[in-house]
Amino acid sequence: MAELELIHVGVMFAVLAIAGGLANRVGQSVIPFYLVAGILMGEAVLGSVGTLSLDAVGLTIAGSDLWLDPDSEFIHLGAELGIVFLLFFLGLEFSMERLIESKERIGKAGTIDLLNFLPGMLIGYLFFGGIVEAVLLGGIVYISSSAIITKSLIDLGWIANNESSPMLGTLVYEDMVIALYLAVVSALLLGAGGIEGATTDILLAVGVLFVLVFAVYFGTEYFQEFLEIDSIELTVLRTVAITVFVAGGALALGVSEAVAAFFVGMGFSSTSHVHEIEELLIPIRDVFAAVFFFWIGLLTDPFVFLDTTVAGLILAAVALSGPTKFLTGYLGGRVYDLDERRSFRVACGMTTRGEFSLIIAAIATSASVDQWGQAVTETIPSIAVGYVLVMSVLGTLAMQYADRLWLIAEPILVEDEDVTPAD
Amino acid sequence: MVVHESDLPGVGKKFEIDLKGEEKLVIVIHNTGKRELFVRKTPDADSEKLFELSDKLARQVGTIMEGAYFQPIKDTDVSTALGEDTLIEWAKVTADAEIAGGTLGDAAVRNRTGASIIAIQRGEETIESPTAETTIESGDTLVALGDMASHERLERLAGGEPLDEEQLNGDE
Repeated sequence: MAELELIHVGVMFAVLAIAGGLANRVGQSVIPFYLVAGILMGEAVLGSVGTLSLDAVGLTIAGSDLWLDPDSEFIHLGAELGIVFLLFFLGLEFSMERLIESKERIGKAGTIDLLNFLPGMLIGYLFFGGIVEAVLLGGIVYISSSAIITKSLIDLGWIANNESSPMLGTLVYEDMVIALYLAVVSALLLGAGGIEGATTDILLAVGVLFVLVFAVYFGTEYFQEFLEIDSIELTVLRTVAITVFVAGGALALGVSEAVAAFFVGMGFSSTSHVHEIEELLIPIRDVFAAVFFFWIGLLTDPFVFLDTTVAGLILAAVALSGPTKFLTGYLGGRVYDLDERRSFRVACGMTTRGEFSLIIAAIATSASVDQWGQAVTETIPSIAVGYVLVMSVLGTLAMQYADRLWLIAEPILVEDEDVTPAD
Repeated sequence: MVVHESDLPGVGKKFEIDLKGEEKLVIVIHNTGKRELFVRKTPDADSEKLFELSDKLARQVGTIMEGAYFQPIKDTDVSTALGEDTLIEWAKVTADAEIAGGTLGDAAVRNRTGASIIAIQRGEETIESPTAETTIESGDTLVALGDMASHERLERLAGGEPLDEEQLNGDE
């Protein structure tokens, strides 16, 4: 099943549409639902379903013929485009101004938030015994989900409250960190040299990124002129063209396509066409991001979650990183002078993980098995999927029930406050 | 008036406007164009969502709030309420109306009906703030400000029906 027939693409989108509809109905983020849809349609689940014969109507359905192949070109490329557009939007909405404007608070809250690298690194290092594994799990556990958190903020109406500032501020900080992180990690994992030769790959990556930053810094006028056209069609085509072209070119040079797309987004963000691009390209991003989550699902064999080691590691990651995210979120809220209740809400919201953890997993998946071993290319991506499934649902639930949870937390948090001398 | 503007990365912009006392009006303009309005009673309180508007609707409401808005007419049933008693209404001038062909001054619409003509629509064209010298032609649509009763009288006048003028003159 190397080729994908049109009907398979149709099946994929139909399944995604159903999954998205379900997610909406139960008030959850779409990401875990797309993932599960992918898992269900993959070889491990649908592929293992036997033949279902309805002799009465002469119908034979063979589950083993219906599963979708993650290696099919369309799904794989679609997933790739999903990563590119997710990061393009991250760059597009990355607000350098905002970062500078409230650099002190964002700096403090964001630096506290860096603590979240630790639980993942600890688990990775203790269990797999390697630096690379530690760094991968550290990143997966560190990065909150901009998509889910932002959507929940809007759904709950918190967007108009003060707690939105530390949350969005910390996300901006995280975005910057993750762009650097992806640049280094993908150069390391996808480059040819292994850890020893990684320096060259990383230097090349940094070189290319430097050129991109340079282009972004001096290219605003060009970007502006590029979009100075009175046609929706051409605006969309030009934006997609330059984004995919630069991302593809970067990948061909061995540099992360995701990071390249991030910088292209940043380049467009300083033009006066940001809103227009956002409005026009959001549907494209959403379609391909859905394919990306689906693809990650297809790659995942759910039966690995029955494996005690994998399940144990996911559980350990949740148990360790949930509380640290909660703590850093709470402290972040306090940095912004919020009261205990609002800081508690920030804490609840920031625990959510999602798309970026999966992008890290995707990079790990495409690393060479011979060079990095199964732990990197299979076990860690599986852990990432399981972890995101748990944390994205847990995070949205924590936000939805933040006020009820607060009734439990209030005596603890506010009492603590009373102990400190009030002068 | 203090308006506090802040960026919401990935969402849009937020404006906080001081109302009376500690109360704040919070307007979130989404990148998608959607506007959400919230009110926050005290600095500690949660923002309560009042309503949300689409981009287009928000602009229309905005011009109404600015005091410079009336709806371009599509049919005679459209009306815009400005208060409990004051409405903007539209009346079509028919060929047999006595005011057709004369000037606005001649027609003395306000004295006779109580409604003030604030604009005249003629085909694609809109005559804003017409003067006493502006002529009324058959087929024109008169955009008028007044209460219900005034509009009813204007409707009859523009439609060429007899007007019970005694009553109004007695009122004034």
